[in-house]
Amino acid sequence: MSAYVNPVALFNPVVGSITVRATLGRKRALLFAIPAVVLIALTLAVRATHPAGTSWAGQVLGDFGFSVLLPLTALIVGTGVLGAEIEDGSAIHLLATPVRRSSIIVTKFAVAATLTMVFAAVPELIAGLLAPGTGKLGVALFAGALAGSVIYTAVFVMASVLTTRAIAVGLLYVLIWEGLLSNTVGGARILSIAHYSLGVANAIYPDQNLRAGLTLTTSAILGAVVTVAALVLATRRLSAFAIKGEPA
Amino acid sequence: MSGIQLTNVSRWYGNVVAVNDITMSIGPGVTGLLGPNGAGKSTILHMIAGFLATSKGTLTVNGKPTWENPDVYRTLGLVPERDSVYAFLTGEQFVRATAKLHKLPDPDAATRRAIEMTEMADAAGRRIATYSKGMRQRIKVAAALVHDPEILLLDEPFNGMDPRQRLHMMDLLGKLGAEGRVILFSSHILEEVEKLSGTIQVMVAGRLAASGDFRAIRRLMTSRPHVFNVRSSDDRRLAAALVGRPYTTAVEFTGRGSLQVRTSDFGAFCAQIAILARENGIALRELLPTDESLESVFGYLVSTQPNQGS
Amino acid sequence: MPADTTTGASAAGVIHDLGYRGYDGPRLGRAQITRALAWHSFRSAFGFGRGAKAKILPVITFVAMCLPAVANAIAMAQGNQQLVGYSAYQPVLRDLVMMIFVAVQAPELVSRDLRSRVLPLYFARPIKTGDYPLAKYLGFTAACAVMIEVPLLLLYGGSVVSVHGGAAVWDQTKALLPGLLAGLMWAVVLAAISLFLASLTGRRAFATGAVAIFFLGTYTLAEILLQVENHAGPGPGPGPQKPGPGQSAAFLAPPVPMAEKISGLFSPFTLFDGVRMWLGGPRTTVAENVLYPGGFGAVYALVLIIALAACLAGLFARYRKARLS
Repeated sequence: MSAYVNPVALFNPVVGSITVRATLGRKRALLFAIPAVVLIALTLAVRATHPAGTSWAGQVLGDFGFSVLLPLTALIVGTGVLGAEIEDGSAIHLLATPVRRSSIIVTKFAVAATLTMVFAAVPELIAGLLAPGTGKLGVALFAGALAGSVIYTAVFVMASVLTTRAIAVGLLYVLIWEGLLSNTVGGARILSIAHYSLGVANAIYPDQNLRAGLTLTTSAILGAVVTVAALVLATRRLSAFAIKGEPA
Repeated sequence: MSGIQLTNVSRWYGNVVAVNDITMSIGPGVTGLLGPNGAGKSTILHMIAGFLATSKGTLTVNGKPTWENPDVYRTLGLVPERDSVYAFLTGEQFVRATAKLHKLPDPDAATRRAIEMTEMADAAGRRIATYSKGMRQRIKVAAALVHDPEILLLDEPFNGMDPRQRLHMMDLLGKLGAEGRVILFSSHILEEVEKLSGTIQVMVAGRLAASGDFRAIRRLMTSRPHVFNVRSSDDRRLAAALVGRPYTTAVEFTGRGSLQVRTSDFGAFCAQIAILARENGIALRELLPTDESLESVFGYLVSTQPNQGS
Repeated sequence: MPADTTTGASAAGVIHDLGYRGYDGPRLGRAQITRALAWHSFRSAFGFGRGAKAKILPVITFVAMCLPAVANAIAMAQGNQQLVGYSAYQPVLRDLVMMIFVAVQAPELVSRDLRSRVLPLYFARPIKTGDYPLAKYLGFTAACAVMIEVPLLLLYGGSVVSVHGGAAVWDQTKALLPGLLAGLMWAVVLAAISLFLASLTGRRAFATGAVAIFFLGTYTLAEILLQVENHAGPGPGPGPQKPGPGQSAAFLAPPVPMAEKISGLFSPFTLFDGVRMWLGGPRTTVAENVLYPGGFGAVYALVLIIALAACLAGLFARYRKARLS
């Protein structure tokens, strides 16, 4: 398997540029931009009305940014980069070429992760810098969001290869597993991408409000394992891509 | 150059058998895959193209299997039936991107050549979203040809094309086939297959009903009498003479000044009809086989199969 | 059956004319078409009429909604107090599960038709263009109502078998009815918002994303604003982890600051709870994010009505022209 090849060499610029154009076409970019704008607007609004506040920053950025903006952006982008083509059948034009399947997956993943960083992590940084007195928190959250972008998009790209209902599965994961269960059931944190991201953020600037449950080492290791496993599994499945009968 | 080889290939989905124990071999030239809807033509094409695994049997293209083998696409081009291309690209961008994905040494030249071959030069600068269905088909063919493949698979390629585009595509495919490439296309429209292909493979309900040249297939159908239309100077006396011969199974007056003769022995009839007419002093004006068309062959094949497709 | 005409009748036999017959009898009208479409939409919301895979998510969400009722029934059977109320139910679970349900299923109802361009087929029937969105809306509202009310009824059933005495049963019934009404409010508004957002695009994935972002975004927004006001204001708020000041102080608390009330305007879920409390429903202490709005509840109701009207107007406007997509 070409898994030991240098990942950078796997990146295919042709696939990459097509993917970027397909994902950012027309109205979709707007969809990603709205939550980011809302986050920044929210930060500004709260700052304007409560200039002396301190602890709310962790709340705004943590809750909105990490629980909503990051996972949902990653979900839409991650399931869109490959899932949309598989669903409407145009993936076959890409697959009927000798391009390595691992290359396709890595390229799509890279595009998805980058777009998610632009639309979720960067707004986090901006909001963090705007919030009063939390420069370091902003950087910490930015780092956590970067990590989260990578891990989330890897998992969601994999999901889009495995099933056509990837977005429903992803929603269940984000809202039920991460939103509800892993905060209440202690051990489940090790299976929660949000907690990996929070672990990274917390390591840079420990903040009670983040409610991060994992250490940096645990987060980094688990995050890396999940990312690589997702990409490998996605490649395996894409290699055995079969055209189904009539779509359901 | 062994072309496409299928040996006892079957494919089922749960309880439904889509392709049932098919053995066939496809070589250079144009081959038509003919069959009613639901016969399994698309399934076979997807399996040959490496986008579906066989449930049983072996399938090779030039000696190598196509499933999970992306390298086969260096010599294989596929024109899928589904009308889905990247609508936001222009035709030329799409073909050039495909050329680059094939890692061609000169993508621009290959793009130009492919676009000219499919007569899409005028529209190549427009976005595919603005194309008509026939134009989309042609740009897909251009993308499939850009890397000069030895084997070309087309799934219902004439769908949505107007007559002029169809004629042109037939010319193109005929030319490519004459160059020695292996062209396999599927269709359920008999006129297209008849005009274009030398060999046909007829599929009915997942089984291979017949293969080869359709006229040769017709001759093999000995259980069906051949039908001829005969015009002569004296139909009645010719009819009386024919009824006396062992190779005639039926004679009928069509009411339009001709005789319709059914014969069980094609060879004997052809050899002896002229002699018979001369012996009786009758001048033969016209001798026309009426059911040598692909349509009648196809009709016979479909009707003799149990549980044919939808 | 149309009458056969006979020709050539004689004592020996008769030949019947079995050719084409027109139909001149009564035909069903617009109302029946709309009703049939609404019923079909209701079924589609739960995945009926499609394969088994389409039913997975509705089943999962429905079961999730029923879990608190079942848990409560078991607990009460063992002699414990009633854990789950009729009005707030299990708020976080209910909010999130309904979010998922409407986000995934609303596109099934409207985006599919847009994508496969079947609208002209619908409108080639004797219906007005407004009937289509009406039918979809009725069907989906009914589906949401089932998702919300059935668990409440299960809760009722589970509680009633464990209480003794007519008075207790009557208490249960008295508590159930406002809960059912509140649930109806939920269904009506959630269906309108999600159908409107989903009808904007034919791609199911984007429709789901848009609806999910809207609901989760507003939900978190309201929560954050509340927490921020909590920290900043003079109210008795212990900290971000615990539920808001409704905990023990709800019945004795000083009037809730205006800023905190305003924060409840930003999410449909907080609006629901606010209107419910304003209309006299129980001031539950279980609701984490919502405070008793007092007179300000009228504004909540107004905002809710405006939002409902706007979404319905948008939905109907979307289909005013029988376009292909």
